[in-house]
Amino acid sequence: MVKKRRRPAGTRQRALTGGRKRVLVVLFVPSVERDGKTPVDQARWVDAALEMFGRVFGGATAYPKAKGVWRDDERGDVLVKDEPVVIHCYTTPADIQDDRSLADLGAFCRKMGREARQGEIGLVVGDEYFAIRDFGEE
Amino acid sequence: MKTQLNMDKIAKGLGAERQGRVAATGGYFGAMQLLAAIEARFRVPSGGGRPTDPAWTERRLLPLAPRTLKKLEEIAAKIREHGGANLEPMQLAALLIEKTTEKLSEEDAENLVRPKRRASR
Repeated sequence: MVKKRRRPAGTRQRALTGGRKRVLVVLFVPSVERDGKTPVDQARWVDAALEMFGRVFGGATAYPKAKGVWRDDERGDVLVKDEPVVIHCYTTPADIQDDRSLADLGAFCRKMGREARQGEIGLVVGDEYFAIRDFGEE
Repeated sequence: MKTQLNMDKIAKGLGAERQGRVAATGGYFGAMQLLAAIEARFRVPSGGGRPTDPAWTERRLLPLAPRTLKKLEEIAAKIREHGGANLEPMQLAALLIEKTTEKLSEEDAENLVRPKRRASR
């Protein structure tokens, strides 16, 4: 006789309250300011971002630094080096569309953009890239 | 069943601008691939402003008829609405010039500037 598989406790409740954590949210924590030279306190921002993701969405993972370089054609072909930290957070469709959660995530990005003097804070939600450039306080 | 995310609501809630689609996958390699793609496609000029094609180094004034500008504004707005790149009307104009120029032959150019013959009765 084939046994019926039991659903793990809480699955139904989770399904009713927004589904599984299958929406990937990616945040990029920069290593330098907008000028491409002045270092930012990256460790502090990574910790703060993880704390925010943990509180708002239930968890996140920060990956080791990536090393990047790009040629700034608008500044005489100067090479700008950056070592951003990529943070991954899996959340539910309901949580990522919740007004309060979006406000918290947006406020964090604006604060980081403002205090770390960035031109843009980049965020990926699902399969779309979002740019935050207006860092004004509410 | 796949739930569609309301990207406009997310953008509004974040105070962000939709820039375009990316292929985001999990894990370390997914994170690194995504980073490389975003840096290449959406890099912001160091002086601020909107992401642009790094090859566009020349700037010229372009005279336009108001109806042409209106049309460019409408198309750019539709592209933004549908989740494409955050395109400005004159960026669209630059793209169109670039694409058309690539395909344009000398003969096509000559036909464009040659006066049209009026139809005789």
